[in-house]
Amino acid sequence: MTPIIHIENIHKHFGSVRALNGVSLDVEKGEVVVIIGPSGSGKSTLLRCINRLEEFDSGKIIVDGIPLDTAENINAVRTEVGMVFQQFNLFPHLTVLQNVMLAQKVVRKRGNIESENIARELLNKVGIHEKANSYPGQLSGGQQQRVAIARALAMNPKIMLFDEPTSALDPEMIQEVLDVMMDLAKEGMTMVVVSHEMGFARAAADRAILMDGGQIIEEATPDVLFSHPKEDRTKLFLSKIL
Amino acid sequence: MTISQKTPAQAKQGRYFDRWWFLLAAVIALILLLVLSKPDPFWRIILYVKAGIWTTVSLTGISFLLVLIVGLLVALARLAKSKVLVGISTVYVEVIRGIPLMVQLIFWYFAFPSVVQGIGHSLNIQSFIDFKTDAISMAILGLTICYSAYMSEVYRAGIQSISKGQMEAARSLGMNYFQAMRYVILPQAIRVIMPPVGNEFITLLKDSSLVSVVAVADMTRRGREFMAANFIPIQTWLMIALLYLVMTLLAGRLVAWMERRFRMEK
Repeated sequence: MTPIIHIENIHKHFGSVRALNGVSLDVEKGEVVVIIGPSGSGKSTLLRCINRLEEFDSGKIIVDGIPLDTAENINAVRTEVGMVFQQFNLFPHLTVLQNVMLAQKVVRKRGNIESENIARELLNKVGIHEKANSYPGQLSGGQQQRVAIARALAMNPKIMLFDEPTSALDPEMIQEVLDVMMDLAKEGMTMVVVSHEMGFARAAADRAILMDGGQIIEEATPDVLFSHPKEDRTKLFLSKIL
Repeated sequence: MTISQKTPAQAKQGRYFDRWWFLLAAVIALILLLVLSKPDPFWRIILYVKAGIWTTVSLTGISFLLVLIVGLLVALARLAKSKVLVGISTVYVEVIRGIPLMVQLIFWYFAFPSVVQGIGHSLNIQSFIDFKTDAISMAILGLTICYSAYMSEVYRAGIQSISKGQMEAARSLGMNYFQAMRYVILPQAIRVIMPPVGNEFITLLKDSSLVSVVAVADMTRRGREFMAANFIPIQTWLMIALLYLVMTLLAGRLVAWMERRFRMEK
């Protein structure tokens, strides 16, 4: 079976800093991959390369059979790949409902009624249907992040990328977001998650990856990686965050 | 009592300097002039200048609409990835902002037609050789080109004030650049730029008086003609000044009202 995400030897630098230094990674359909690593290890950059929010210098990425090269292909990939950001990035001038409807109408060309139905269904699923007419500024961080997940799901993505989805949240709000992500994983969504939430990784991930210095240092099942790491750098990193 | 503290009475007094009062005062002054000074020169001045008022209003209105469009295009060009677009738009903005509006207006009216005809002669293009224009079109062209340079900077600041994550979120949902601008960035930027855009409009309204030197019969030019024929400069310019004042104060109130509306919608 061909992997749904195929990343081959990509390099990227910001000025003189090497952000990615020859990263290769295959993700199978339905797989949940968690990426951990110290800040500046290139994990977010790698994630952002998958939907080409970040350009890379060399290497190759193929998503669902589409190579990331021309502008049309990049847009095609983006409609298949949902992304959830650390800072939520909801559209503050639109209501929650409108946030979830906008791209459906503009990109998927769905009608008002159809996109509203889908939006309400998804808001229901992430548990904030009662806030449909509120503005993002009136919601808590956890609620905003759940709206952001619903907004991405409304495009019927085949893959979901999560860029530190709980890092900007107050501790008591982390679980409500993780619960939604857990449900998604159970439903068989392909997910690449940059996060240090060990509990989530152990419960939902098929594979955990440690990145450092723009490279993949070690990859294994979460239990093996967290409990019996082979590499010294993994041990060092885990000793700091546990 | 310390100086910074305001008593309720003083705070209330502050409201007498609400801008509505200025507008009201200007309108009352205008009416008093018209009613009290009989047999008056003021009605005659207004009647003579009437066509000019309409010219000033429509000239400002048309130019401003064009400025809103051209300014946005220039701002997008300055923010584009293409080095060519950035280069051209930067040169345009810097050159135009460095030349007085009066000089630009004179160029478009007196020099530009000759430039076109000259090119027509050297390249032998008949329609260029026959190029003729009128004062109003050249005035609109001059005002638009000048003010678009300033307006593009207003737009640019507004667009750049929106966090990068907004564009990324829109793009990650599959929107292209223009869809993201249209539905996500600009609606937010408009709230930010409303006050400076309003200022630009009022400044344009006042600066439009400069077109009187390039044969456009606006309010200012009609005033000058009236003065030349009747030798009553004080009354004439009092009247013209009052008319401008009422117009700019009215525009100021309109802008403030729109600002409030936009803020409430959020």
